[in-house]
Amino acid sequence: MTRMEHIALKGTRDGLILYFDPGVEFSVVLEELTRYLRESTEFLRGASVRCFAGEKGYSDEELRALSELLGEYRVELAGWLKPEEVYAGAVVLNPKESPPWQEEGMAEGSCLFVDRTLRSGHSVQYEGNVVVLGDVNPGAEIVAGGNIVVLGTLRGVAHAGAAGDRGASVSAGHLMPTQLRIADLVARGPDEETETVGPEIARIKNGQLFVERLTGTMWRSSLR
Amino acid sequence: MGEVIVVTSGKGGVGKTTTTANLGTGLASAGQKVVLVDTDIGLRNLDVVMGLENRIVYDIVDVTSGNCRLRQALIKDKRFENLYLLPAAQTKDKTAVSPEQMKVLSDELRTDFDYAIIDCPAGIEQGFKNAIAGADRAVVVTTPEMSAVRDADRIIGLLEASELSNPRLIINRIRPLMVKHGDMMDMADILDILAIELLGVVPEDESIIVSTNKGEPAVLDRGSKAGEAYRRITRRIRGEQVALMNLDIPDGLMNKFKKLLGLH
Repeated sequence: MTRMEHIALKGTRDGLILYFDPGVEFSVVLEELTRYLRESTEFLRGASVRCFAGEKGYSDEELRALSELLGEYRVELAGWLKPEEVYAGAVVLNPKESPPWQEEGMAEGSCLFVDRTLRSGHSVQYEGNVVVLGDVNPGAEIVAGGNIVVLGTLRGVAHAGAAGDRGASVSAGHLMPTQLRIADLVARGPDEETETVGPEIARIKNGQLFVERLTGTMWRSSLR
Repeated sequence: MGEVIVVTSGKGGVGKTTTTANLGTGLASAGQKVVLVDTDIGLRNLDVVMGLENRIVYDIVDVTSGNCRLRQALIKDKRFENLYLLPAAQTKDKTAVSPEQMKVLSDELRTDFDYAIIDCPAGIEQGFKNAIAGADRAVVVTTPEMSAVRDADRIIGLLEASELSNPRLIINRIRPLMVKHGDMMDMADILDILAIELLGVVPEDESIIVSTNKGEPAVLDRGSKAGEAYRRITRRIRGEQVALMNLDIPDGLMNKFKKLLGLH
């Protein structure tokens, strides 16, 4: 998905959809779209898109300007989407009823996927779970409402269950954090750098933060 | 009533943070109640140099913005009961704090501590303005390089314009052998240009690199030359008259032998 400030292009099963921010003037949308088309001519040439601007209606003159601009880049305006069409696809989960695929040991909730290394000064805050495909360096921090999983080395600060969930966990390929926080508990890393043994998981047991090795047998035992 | 001292330089990498850590630790080891304040928001280092990085929960931005009380953000040193660190924030930038907020903070620190040592960021922009806003005195750090001295001169001008007159100078990382061979500016050259009171001279010392990496200030290392220089600077800060360290080097191999044999 290509995202700019006030327009967004999204590919769906039913073709490309251009979303316009209904909260800004048409001129802003048009200017951003012009810039976008100029930069990605090849990608969109010959494509057909449908547009959506929420409840906002544009004047005939504005609509003409839009189709002219799209035509200039050989993009076909295939029509406008109605709000019902856009929101119909969204699945609303009933929080009281767990979904049928939910098994014991599976964490529900939304997940943020970070596919890069978080360096010093980076801060990721998310209400759900956070997965980092990379390292978390000293000086970087992750604050998550749910669990935190770092596939690389966690050297920075991680705060799982930040809203108070004491069942949250922090796991990493190499768990050597500056500081680890779960819910209201804080543990600091050792003053001397230590070698880690491999993937580890930190969570609260009996009111204390515990770090354990993540092993296959552990998974099996917890499922039984 | 305590004193708020800002350690500044203009140029980066000349040893502001090392100086702050050593001054603070030196003063604390002399029994003074000291707080170190890192104002380098976004590029904090003082916590690492003090070996306290893993204890940070709240930072200076949390204090100035009222997220927590000052007491909650202060980190007690590993070695001294009477030494504290107020760390900078790492995920924000310099604009997160204003000079007015720094004045308020400095007033609070002045009532609670004998000394507040403020580690200033490099540059002359907002971070610098924040760092000096609440200070009573300034210490300017330079190295014996033309570029560092140029920047120190600019800083002294800016300090004077902000009514922080009579800053004192620390010449850091001097290499006596190079000075002797005429390859490095000597003390007199630097003082000639800057014309301010000299607070101390610190020799280049590899033990600083080790102590910085270990998070143990060199001032505590009896075997470190730089540590000795900082011990003397600490005493001068407290108002004592202390002679400059002897940085002369023996003339050659013969002298070393004589020394070994006790003839010198």
